[in-house]
Amino acid sequence: MRRMLRLHRIFVAQYMKNLMEYKVDFLTGAISFLIGQVVQIAFLGIIFSQIPNLVGWEFNEILFIYGFSLLPKGLDHLLFDNLWSVGYFIVRKGDFDKYLTRPINSLFYVICEKFCVDAFGELFIGLVLIVYSVIALKLTITWYMIPLFIIAVVFATLIYTSIKIATSAISFWTKASGHITHMFYMTNDFSKYPTTIYNKFVRTFITYVVPFAFTAFYPASFFLTGENPLFCIGGTVLASVVLFVISVCIWNRGIKAYESAGS
Amino acid sequence: MKFKKFMRTYRPFTRAGMLESVAYRANFICFLLGEIMSCFIMFFVWKAVFNSTTSPDFMGFTMSDMVVYLFITFLTGYLTYSDGTYAIATEIRDGSIAMRMIKPCSFDMCFLFQELGNKIFNVLVIFVPIVLGVEIYRWAITGVCQFDIVHFLLYIISLVLAYLISFYFNVSYGFMAFYLKNLWGADILKECIVNFLSGATIPLAFMPTVLADILNFLPFSSLSYTPVMIYMGMYSLDEIALRMLLQVFWLVTMILISKAVWNHAVKRLCSQGG
Repeated sequence: MRRMLRLHRIFVAQYMKNLMEYKVDFLTGAISFLIGQVVQIAFLGIIFSQIPNLVGWEFNEILFIYGFSLLPKGLDHLLFDNLWSVGYFIVRKGDFDKYLTRPINSLFYVICEKFCVDAFGELFIGLVLIVYSVIALKLTITWYMIPLFIIAVVFATLIYTSIKIATSAISFWTKASGHITHMFYMTNDFSKYPTTIYNKFVRTFITYVVPFAFTAFYPASFFLTGENPLFCIGGTVLASVVLFVISVCIWNRGIKAYESAGS
Repeated sequence: MKFKKFMRTYRPFTRAGMLESVAYRANFICFLLGEIMSCFIMFFVWKAVFNSTTSPDFMGFTMSDMVVYLFITFLTGYLTYSDGTYAIATEIRDGSIAMRMIKPCSFDMCFLFQELGNKIFNVLVIFVPIVLGVEIYRWAITGVCQFDIVHFLLYIISLVLAYLISFYFNVSYGFMAFYLKNLWGADILKECIVNFLSGATIPLAFMPTVLADILNFLPFSSLSYTPVMIYMGMYSLDEIALRMLLQVFWLVTMILISKAVWNHAVKRLCSQGG
């Protein structure tokens, strides 16, 4: 474990040097992300200027859910973004050989190699929204809320990562699977709004099949109302652990099927 | 005679683009399913909004208007999307643009015809299902068939104009890579700002009047808002004529800009690698 952490630090340092070469580029990326989010929130504001509440949730509560959804998304983006490249081109170009010839776990190596700083945009907006909505709603914070909050965010991040691991591992058989990852990943937007607005099919799908509802709405609704802790927080932990175990199994089987590329 | 020669030169590019898109059709369909998801999310959000309010319309849009707006905006955005910025920036960065410049054909025409070929397959897969779906939905909700052939044909014309504006805008933007070398961040910034200014994220009708008036004049509303409003029948025929004139004006402007940037940039081109 110690060795892994040390290696991770070295990888991050390496990647930062790479990034500094294109400073302006990185900054514009982060700023444009901020603009995009501000526009989305303005849009929510316009909607709420016409209606008192959305299926029983008021504007500030929706902001809390929205902000919460950005934290696991941002953390996953920050730490585990390299999985996208596996599905899009690393396997197709035969570059995956590199990861198999090093004396560390291939999954760990792929994950650590890149450190995506533009995710700070997501994390920043998420935190601002959460702090703002907590103050605006005058939520009382009890001591046990804080560890539960951290647990919820960490395991929700694992849901994102597991889905990316499983879908990018498909490329070991099909050579490229970036678009499959994209398709599953986009489902996460469903979690930004209360699940009660969807019909039964969508609700079942994002709760039990691709459990993105556990990355935002369920845990966030617990922090807002204090109801159903077992389902909201326990469900997040359970869903992410199950998903993670499955995705690591798929990854390991995929590695056995990997046959590099010609040339 | 001239036209024949023109077509003979550029038809192979269309063919290549078409083959390319058919070869990667599975990717395209997965990508499409991922992208269209956001339309369905907004559909459910609007349904909840209309359930929460007693009035039948939201700032002048009824539920069925909103659904048409969502899906036709998606369709328009998808069909007018041009990959020029990314493709040109990549070629400039890895130096392969030098190969383009020694060929006896015009730089932007090669891109345009290749992209058109790429689009043919996409149009077949996406256009009919979305228009059909939207019309059936509208019909089921209101009980009358609202499909209007005149507005539909005008929409197609406006759509083609929008695509050409988008194409030349993206080409001009891509040429910025001659100066900046790496365009990743600037590309995301462009996406973001265009989505906002063109009314794709928030309908211009929901914005404060002054802002909406300014945005209506800028080239960005020509990219998406104008064709969508024509499809929805929100404009009278006079207004449509005016809007299309504005589209033509912006198209000519964009072509001139792209030519000017190209002429300036080529003189200081410094090919990397290659």
